Amino acid sequence: MLSSILLIPVFTLLIIIFTPNRAVKFVRAICVLSGFFTLVLSLQLWMGYDPIRGGIQFEELIPWVPALGISYHLGVDGFSTILVMLNSIVYFTGVLTMWDLEKRVKEYFAFMVLLVIGVYGVFMSLDIFFLFFFYEIAVVPMYPLIIIWGSGNKEYAGMKLMLFLLAGSALLFPGLLAIYHASGLNTFDIVALSKHAFDPEFQIFVYPFIYAGFGVLAGMFPFHGWSPTGHVAAPSAVSMLHAGVLMKLGAFGILTVGMRLLPEGAVYWAPTFCTLAATGVIYGAFVAIRQSDFKFVIGFSSVSHMGIVLLGLNLAVLGQAGIEALNGAVFQMFAHGIMTALFFSTVGYIYDRAHSKTIADFGGLGSQMPRAVSIFIVAGLCGAGLPGLASFWPEMLVFLAALKTYPIVGAVIIVGLVLTAVYILRVFNLAFFGPPNERWNNLKSLDLSGLHILPRAILVAVLVFFGFIPRVMLDLINSTTEAFLGRF
Amino acid sequence: MTLHAYLLLGLALFSLGLIGVLTRRNLIALLIGVELMMNAASLNFMAFNRYVVTDPTVGQIFVLIIIGLAAAEVAIFLSIILRLYREYRDIDAEKLTELRG
Amino acid sequence: MDTLSLLLLTTFTPLFAFLIALIFLLQQPRAAQTVVLLGSVVSLFASIVLFLQGPTEPLRFLWFSSGNIQLQFGFILDGPSLMFGMVVALITGCIMVYSTGYMAHDPDKTRYFSMLSLFAWSMLSFVYAVDLLQAFIFWELVGLASFFLIGFWYEKPSAANAARKAFLMTRVGDVGLFIGVLLILQATGIFDIPALLNPQTGLSTQVSPHTLTWITLLIFVGIMGKSAQFPLHTWLPDAMEGPTPVSALLHSATMVAAGVFLMIRLHPLFMAAETTPVVILTISTFTAILASTIAMVDTDIKKVLAYSSISQLGFMLIGLAAGSLFAGVFHLITHAIFKALLFLCSGIYIHAYETNDMATIGRKGGRNLKATTTGLVIGGAALAGIPPLAGFFSKEEIFAQLGHNGFNIYMAGAFFAAFLTAYYTFRMIFLIVKPDRHEESHDHHHGPLEPLNMKGPVMLLTIGALITGFFGGQIAHMLNIHAEHHALLDMLPAIAVVAIGVFVAYLDYGRSQAQRTGFISNIGALNTLFVNRWYIDSFYNAVIVRLTLAIAALMHWFETHGLDGNFDRLGLNILRTGTQSTRVQNGLMQLYLAWTIIILGIVALYIGMA
Repeated sequence: MLSSILLIPVFTLLIIIFTPNRAVKFVRAICVLSGFFTLVLSLQLWMGYDPIRGGIQFEELIPWVPALGISYHLGVDGFSTILVMLNSIVYFTGVLTMWDLEKRVKEYFAFMVLLVIGVYGVFMSLDIFFLFFFYEIAVVPMYPLIIIWGSGNKEYAGMKLMLFLLAGSALLFPGLLAIYHASGLNTFDIVALSKHAFDPEFQIFVYPFIYAGFGVLAGMFPFHGWSPTGHVAAPSAVSMLHAGVLMKLGAFGILTVGMRLLPEGAVYWAPTFCTLAATGVIYGAFVAIRQSDFKFVIGFSSVSHMGIVLLGLNLAVLGQAGIEALNGAVFQMFAHGIMTALFFSTVGYIYDRAHSKTIADFGGLGSQMPRAVSIFIVAGLCGAGLPGLASFWPEMLVFLAALKTYPIVGAVIIVGLVLTAVYILRVFNLAFFGPPNERWNNLKSLDLSGLHILPRAILVAVLVFFGFIPRVMLDLINSTTEAFLGRF
Repeated sequence: MTLHAYLLLGLALFSLGLIGVLTRRNLIALLIGVELMMNAASLNFMAFNRYVVTDPTVGQIFVLIIIGLAAAEVAIFLSIILRLYREYRDIDAEKLTELRG
Repeated sequence: MDTLSLLLLTTFTPLFAFLIALIFLLQQPRAAQTVVLLGSVVSLFASIVLFLQGPTEPLRFLWFSSGNIQLQFGFILDGPSLMFGMVVALITGCIMVYSTGYMAHDPDKTRYFSMLSLFAWSMLSFVYAVDLLQAFIFWELVGLASFFLIGFWYEKPSAANAARKAFLMTRVGDVGLFIGVLLILQATGIFDIPALLNPQTGLSTQVSPHTLTWITLLIFVGIMGKSAQFPLHTWLPDAMEGPTPVSALLHSATMVAAGVFLMIRLHPLFMAAETTPVVILTISTFTAILASTIAMVDTDIKKVLAYSSISQLGFMLIGLAAGSLFAGVFHLITHAIFKALLFLCSGIYIHAYETNDMATIGRKGGRNLKATTTGLVIGGAALAGIPPLAGFFSKEEIFAQLGHNGFNIYMAGAFFAAFLTAYYTFRMIFLIVKPDRHEESHDHHHGPLEPLNMKGPVMLLTIGALITGFFGGQIAHMLNIHAEHHALLDMLPAIAVVAIGVFVAYLDYGRSQAQRTGFISNIGALNTLFVNRWYIDSFYNAVIVRLTLAIAALMHWFETHGLDGNFDRLGLNILRTGTQSTRVQNGLMQLYLAWTIIILGIVALYIGMA
C-alpha cells in the first residue's frame, strides 16, 4: 500500500524523463493520472487505517544496509495518514492548477513529482536515514522550480530559500547522527529508537538541533524569512506544495523525530519554544498587515498559522491539555495545507492573467472575476478562523490548550484572530471591493471556468467538509495522540 | 658509474624540466619541460632497477608505461594547444586565464 | 410530523435554498429568488408548527469528541427558542417578499437572495442551538452573512468599509466571547446549555464566583460586539450601507438580536454572577442614552433608526440585567417586529424618492404613500412606547423590573432614554408627515411607488406591531413565568415620560410654526457633540486604527531591517568572503604549479624530518 503510493510518482517521474520534450499533453496527462491514483490510494489508506487499533499500520520492512542498521521501513500512524492525504490532495490539485503551463513543461513536472516523492517519503519513513534522505529530496527541487519558473526577484528568493533550508539541514544532520550514535543500538529505525531511553542531558542538548533544524522548514520564528520570499517568487503550484505540504514536513519532523525520540528534551525546551511560536503567530499577523503583495500577505499569514502548529506541538508535551493541543496541531497542519493551497492556486490564477500581484494595482476585482475572488474569499475566511471552515477546529483546540497552560499567552493568541481578520479584510477591500479598475476589464472573460474550477472546488469542498464534520479527522488523529503522549 | 651518478643526472633533468615548466610562457615549451621531467623519472626507475631490484622486469614495465603515457599525453596536449591557438590565436600561458575566479 | 423533521425543515431548508441558488442558479436570478422564497416559507411553516407543539425536551446528537471535549449538535426547544425562532422565520419571510420588490432591478439578485438564505439558516440554527459551541459557530456565521450583505454593493467603497468595520468590531467582541466559552469548557468540560444552566450541577456551582464573573463579563463582551453596545457600537450605523431590507433584517431579528438572545439563553448564569449585572446595566443604560442623543440630531432616516436600534438593544439588556427574563424576551420580540416594520417603511421611501434625508422625503410627499406612512406612524408609536402598542408594554416591564429591584439610578437613565426615544421617533414622524414645504416629486419610477410585494409585508408587520403588545401574557406563559399585571398607576410614569417626549417633538417639529431645528441646537456644545456622534468614531480612527498600523509598521521594519536584513547581511558577507578568496584563483597555472610544488616540498620535508 505505502510503497505503491510512493512508487506511483517514482514511475511517473521515470516516464516523464523518457518522454520527448514536445509531448506536453502526454506529460500533463500522466501527471494528472498519477495524482488521481495516489489520491485514490490515499483515500483507501485513510479508510483502511483502523483508528481503534491505532499505532503504526501498513508497515513494510526491507533491510537495506544491515551493517549500519539502515532499512527501508515504511509505516503510517494517524498523523501521517492525514498528511499523506494532504499531500495527495495538493499534488492532484497542484497539477491541475499548472495545466496551462507552457514553459519547459516536462522539466517542470519532473521536478514537481520529485518533490512530491520526497514528501511522501518523509511522511511514511520509519527510518531516520530514509527520512532525511527523502527530506532532502523534497527540499532540493525547490531551487530549480523557483529559479526557472518563478517570477520577480526569483534568483534571490531561490538562493535564500535554499540557504535557509540547507542551514536547517546542517543543524539537523549532526543531531540525527548524534541520536544514532548515542543510542548504541546500531539502528536508524525510529520504532526501535523510540523504545530507547536516552540520557536526559543528551536529550536536552540535542533537541534544539532537531527542533530548529526541522523548525526552519516549518517557518519557525525567527527563521521564517525564506518562506514569504520563496512563496512570492515561486510559481503557483510550487507555492501550493511549498506552503501547503513542505512546511508541514518540518512540523512533522519535530513531531516524529524530536518529540518521539527525545521526550525529555522536548519537555525541557517547550516553554521557550512556546514563547517563540506565540511570538511568531502575532508577529506574522502584524507584518502581514503591512504587505503590498498578495503573496507576501499569504506568506506571512503562513508564518502566523504555522506558529499555531508549533505552539500546539509544544503545548502538547506540557501536559495540562496535551491531547487537545496535539490534535489541534496536527489538524492545523492539514487545514492550513489545504487553505494555503487554495490561496496560492487562486492568486496564481489571477497573477497569470493580470501579471500583477500588487494589491494596490487591483480594486473592484470582485465584479471582474467574481468566481476567482469568491474562492479567494473562502480561503481568506478560513484563514481568519471562521467556523464552518476547517481551520476553526484546530485553532480552537490549540487556543483552548494555550488558555489552560499559559492563560496570558492564550488570550494574546486569540487576539491574533482579530489581526488575521484585519489583514485579510484589508486585502478584500483594497483588491476586490470598491469601484472596478478599468485596467482589468479584459479579465472579465478570463474568470475561472471549466477545468480551472475543478482544483479550487476540490479544495473548497475539503475545507467545508472538515469544517462541519471534523469528527472524521479527529477520530483518526486521536487514535495516535493518546499513545503518543503516553511517553510524557 | 654508480647509482648516485644516475640519480644526479635524473635530478638535473627533472630540475631543468621543472624550471622550464615554471618559467616558460609558451605552451610548447611547457610541454617540453613536462617531457623532461618524465624522462628524469624514467631514468630513475631504470637506475633503481639496475642497482637495487634484482628482477629486471619491474622498472622496465614502469618505464614502458611512462613512454606510452607520454606519447598519449603529447597527443592530447598538442591537440588542446591547437584548439587553444585556434580559439585565442595565442599559446601564451599567462594570457590563457579564462578560468580565474 | 415528528419534532426532528420539523426542526430540520425549519433550520436546514434555508441552507439548501442557499446552496441550490448559489451553485446552480447563478445565471437565473428569478429561479433563485423563487427557490429562496420557497425555502423561507417552508421554514416559516415548520417553525409555526413547532411553536404550536409547545416546549419539549432538547434533542442532542454527538458531533465529535476530542480528548475531554464532547461536542454535540442539537436543538433546544424551550420558550425563547420556539418563540424567537418563529419571529425570525416570519420576519425573514416578510423581508424576502419585500426584497423581491426592492431589489427587483439588481443584476446580482442571486447572490443577494442566497445570502439572505444563509443569514436565515445561521440565525435559526443559532436560536435552536443546544450546545454553546454550536451556538458560537452559528453566531459567527450570522456575522459572516451580515458581512456579505452589508457589503452587498461592494463596488461602493463605503459599503465595503462598513462591512469590514462590522466584521472587525464584532470580531473584537467575539474574542471575548470565545475566551469565555473556552473558559467554560475548561471549567466544566461541557458545552451543553441546559446542563450548564442547571442550578444544582451547572456552571455556577462548579466555579468560584470570581471566575463566574469573569466568564460572564467575557461573554458580555461578545454580546456588546454583536448587539452594538458602547464601545463596540459604531459598526451598526455604518452597516446602513447595505440594502435597506438587509438593514431591516440585521436590526430586528438577526444579527443584533443574536447578542441579546445569547444573554437570554444564558440568563441564569448572568444572574448568578456578582458584579456582572451592574456592569451590564451601566453599559447598556449609557448606550441607550448615547444612541438616543445621536438619533435626535441625525437627518438620515436609516441612521436614526440604526441609533434607535442601539438604544433599544440597550433597553433589552437593561431588562435582562435587571433580572427579568420576561422583559428582555418581550422587548426583543416586539422590537423585532416594529423595527423591521420601520426599516421596511424607510426602504419604501428611499426607493421612491431616492434620498435618505427625512426632511426631503417629507417635502417630496412622503405622506402620500398611505400604507407606508401608516406603518411608519404605528411602528414609530410602538417604538416610542405609546400605549397600548407593542413597545409600551415591553418597555414598561423593564421599568417595573428596575424599580422592583431598586436600581434607581438606572431607572432614571432608562426613563431619560425613553423620553429621548419618544422625542426622536416623533421628530422623524413629524418631519415626514408634516413637511415645512412641498416640492415637486420627480417620479422616476414607471411602476407604482408602493408595489404590492413591498406593501404587503409592511401591512402585515403593521398589524403585528399593533397587536404583539397584548401577547405579553402568552409570552410569559411560554417562559414559565407568571406575568404580573401592573396597575395603571404604576404605568403612569412611563406614560408621562413618553407623553412629554411626544409633546416636545410636537413643539419642535409638529406645529405649523415650528422651527424644525430641535431644542438641542440651542445648546451649541452638546449639539456639536451629538452631531459628531460623541467623537467615538474619530477617536477610533485616530487612536486604535493608527496604533495598529503603527505596530504593524514597526514589525514590518523589524522584519525587513532587523531579521531579514541581518540574514541578508550574513549572506552577503559570506558571499563577499568568497569573492575575495577567488582572487587567489588567478588563472596562471604556472603559479598554481609553483604553489603546489612548494607545499608538497614542505610536506615532504616535514615527513622526512619526522
